[in-house]
Amino acid sequence: MTIQNPTRPAVSPAGGSLSPRARFRRRSAISDLLVVIAWVSGPVAASLYLASGGLADVKDMGSFFTALGIVTGLIGTDFILLMLVLAARVPLIDRAVGHDRAIGLHRQLGKPALYLILAHAALLLIGYGMSSGFNPIAEIGPMLALPDMITAVVGTALLIAVVVTSLVAVRRKFPYEFWHVIHLLSYAAVLFALPHQLSIGGTLADGTVQRVYWIGLYVLAIGAIVIFRIAVPLFKSWAHDIRVQQVQWISPDVASIHLTGRDLRALGAGGGQFLIWRFWSAGTWWHSHPISLSALPTDRHARITVRVLGRGTRRLTAVKPGTRVSFAGPYGIFTDAARTSPKLAIVAAGIGITPARALLEGSQLARGEATVLVRSSTDDETFLWSEMRKLAEARGAELFAMVGPRARNSWMSQHDAARGVTLRSVFPDLDRSDLYVCGPQRWAEAVVADARAAGLPEHQIHLESFEL
Amino acid sequence: MRRRAAVASVIASAGVLIAGFQVGAAVTAGRTTTSSGTGTGSSGSTAGTGSTGSTSSGSTGSTGSTGATGSSAKDGTFKGTTVQTPFGPMQVAAVISGGKIADVKVLQRTDQGGRSVQISNQADPMLRSEVLQAQSANVSTIGGATYTSEGYLQSLQSALDQAGFTG
Repeated sequence: MTIQNPTRPAVSPAGGSLSPRARFRRRSAISDLLVVIAWVSGPVAASLYLASGGLADVKDMGSFFTALGIVTGLIGTDFILLMLVLAARVPLIDRAVGHDRAIGLHRQLGKPALYLILAHAALLLIGYGMSSGFNPIAEIGPMLALPDMITAVVGTALLIAVVVTSLVAVRRKFPYEFWHVIHLLSYAAVLFALPHQLSIGGTLADGTVQRVYWIGLYVLAIGAIVIFRIAVPLFKSWAHDIRVQQVQWISPDVASIHLTGRDLRALGAGGGQFLIWRFWSAGTWWHSHPISLSALPTDRHARITVRVLGRGTRRLTAVKPGTRVSFAGPYGIFTDAARTSPKLAIVAAGIGITPARALLEGSQLARGEATVLVRSSTDDETFLWSEMRKLAEARGAELFAMVGPRARNSWMSQHDAARGVTLRSVFPDLDRSDLYVCGPQRWAEAVVADARAAGLPEHQIHLESFEL
Repeated sequence: MRRRAAVASVIASAGVLIAGFQVGAAVTAGRTTTSSGTGTGSSGSTAGTGSTGSTSSGSTGSTGSTGATGSSAKDGTFKGTTVQTPFGPMQVAAVISGGKIADVKVLQRTDQGGRSVQISNQADPMLRSEVLQAQSANVSTIGGATYTSEGYLQSLQSALDQAGFTG
């Protein structure tokens, strides 16, 4: 063990020696490759059918609908497996595109996947119906008599439940736990659908390459979930043995939770990353919370800072010292690793100060490389600002504060908006800067919109928003 | 960068679809030659066919007068091998009379699941009439009844081989 210097923790070794530009090129190459693999997996699914000689069976309208039904089923299932991989928090994906973008795509795919599966059922009923001269409704009975169809229907019903409860309008009506439990059923839905894919139809028949590929996809998706959502977090939680040390109130509704554990530096958490925490006390164990580190971990100590927003976070701040904490992560690319440009610009508001502070702490900076703007509506909201000031001083960064009620149609204070402050006047080197924005969602989006309007390219904008 | 990913996705997708189509065309062509060939070795058969293949090879029916019409085929009823399909076994017998296919009788039909019985009931007479017309097992399969058709035609081909029927 060497001597620890708590104010200058080791910077993550990955890509440390590369320039931001080179790191960015590598990261975007990986990201593009992942995007291509994700989208091409759909056509590959359709190709499985083509390669089995399926087109030769298309002779009339009935067989045409049947073929279309098979293809929609294949692509729909491919999308669902893709969604599992995206939700599995695979480190490679998280490092390349970030957890929030992965989950964003996961959400976007939900409805199309469901529609494809429903179309699969409907088209096959129509296709079979036309081929045998019956109407599609009359096909429902015989179709259910096919092997493994009952489980497939149950799987579809579960899928409908999962997607419907995830629609924004519906999701708001129920507590998080209800949505979460229903969402877990998607694993069952995926597994229930598998037998009928393998036993009915020729595309995935026994002994074909298609069958091997398809089972491989399933193994990949389920394996990713089991390893990265279950096994790795369980092991890490056990190995690092994190417990609550104390809860410290730093403003009327914001508390820092100090944690102790074993070898926490080995978590490899970069400044600005978050972990998904679960506190094992009576009132909190059933709910996990994604919370940013508000300081880089040292060997024995880590710190998170939370704002009390509802019952869940209220209970969180009431945990007793010694409470066991399990976690998954760290996740996110609101970090030094996502840098693309020579200069660093940070804008943070409210609780968004937490990852911004850790980011500043975790960045290797030349004097004058970074500029920080902290924003709050009232003096009550200036928690962690003193730490930010000290850090900025130590890192040779310039720090601006902007306090006061928000101006109309702006993310700035009334006072500063009126005297003509702009993003460019705060960050004169904006074009050569990476802009990191962190704060309440609406506000953060306003800053990003302003940056886009100023002509800042997309890859230089880094957003971490907190839903309020 | 996003454009690069999008372009690559489109190109790769097109490539994958074309490759799939090509493989499919090759598979389909291979299937046609198989059914018009010797008719042995059903590709869809599973382990169970080893025994059924040998037991059903014997032909019933007495050999009648041969060569009357110039065809080398023997007259009589010839059982085809049992072909395993995903929906159950399929077996037909060919009735040869005067060197011609006079009839095709279904001995075992796919019966797993109500739907396949329905398909089979419907497809069998259609296949029979096609076969009688073409005087060959080399006819196209019935849409929506691919497995039943392939089983039917494969079993028939093996029966015709036993009869020495060459068409």
